[in-house]
Amino acid sequence: MWFTTFCEWLSETQFSHHLREAPYDFPVLIIVHIITIAMFGAMVAIGNLRVLGRAMPSVPVSQLIAAFRPWKWIAFAILLVSGTLLAASDPMEYGFNIMFWISNALLLIAGINSLIFRNGVYRSVAEWDTSEEVPPGARRWAAVSLVLWIVLVFAGRAIAFF
Amino acid sequence: MLHALILQAHPEALPINPIARWEWVFPIVEAIHICGFTLLVGSIVILDLRLLGVTLRGQPVSRIARELAPWIWAGLAFQLTTGPFLFSGDPHEYVQVAAFRNKMLFFALALIFHFTVIRAATRTSADSAPLGWRRPAALVSLGLWFCVLLAGLWIGNL
Repeated sequence: MWFTTFCEWLSETQFSHHLREAPYDFPVLIIVHIITIAMFGAMVAIGNLRVLGRAMPSVPVSQLIAAFRPWKWIAFAILLVSGTLLAASDPMEYGFNIMFWISNALLLIAGINSLIFRNGVYRSVAEWDTSEEVPPGARRWAAVSLVLWIVLVFAGRAIAFF
Repeated sequence: MLHALILQAHPEALPINPIARWEWVFPIVEAIHICGFTLLVGSIVILDLRLLGVTLRGQPVSRIARELAPWIWAGLAFQLTTGPFLFSGDPHEYVQVAAFRNKMLFFALALIFHFTVIRAATRTSADSAPLGWRRPAALVSLGLWFCVLLAGLWIGNL
């Protein structure tokens, strides 16, 4: 199968060998990856809790989301690079790890979820920006997002156990 | 081997503590510990970034601190529950691991710093003053929490 061939080829490259065998590359990548997850996760959590009316009630929703947006993009870029490098360090392991693929699928679903939120109910944010009573439509997306990210932490941690 | 045979004959001899009894308990509690870390330290990082003047500049510092406080407390409650639970699985082993002792040291320092210096930096009366000394204080707080995470990751040899 082409995927197996690809993983075999990648794991034999000098690049992959280096990531796998150099003493500090993997630990440093893991540290960067997890710190960034904590950073990203906190902004996702507080943002969603705000939409749910449970956190930072006096900060307008749009102001909170706008303040976090650049940090989230920076974090996402770091996660993408460090995550790709971590996967490339041992493609024969991660490429065939069910939890790795479940985590990636959850990430994709969480991304689609926030895109739907942004292009849907969030367009009317001006009407409920300063209110603690956010419309149920928006709250539903925030609750789904929160649950997805929590499940993602569990699935991500489980990669090491499969 | 002998141990396994004894357990087979006397299943009641299994450890009472669930984390030592079933191997799937540890990773689940650990994942909750990671979520709690995100809540506790993430909320503090948002506050520190405000003190550095790099986010939410339109909002007074004291208000951000007041409204994040319940989530900082919630995160702390999570950590003070899941942490000792994880520790209880093998306490004799943990106390001998340098990374564990370092983590506890940095955790204590970070908490003390948060509830003294950062608390003073987020008083309502300081809102109209320039950020001044509060910027380096926020950097110290970020550094201490970074050390907690680093030592914590080191406990499991990454």
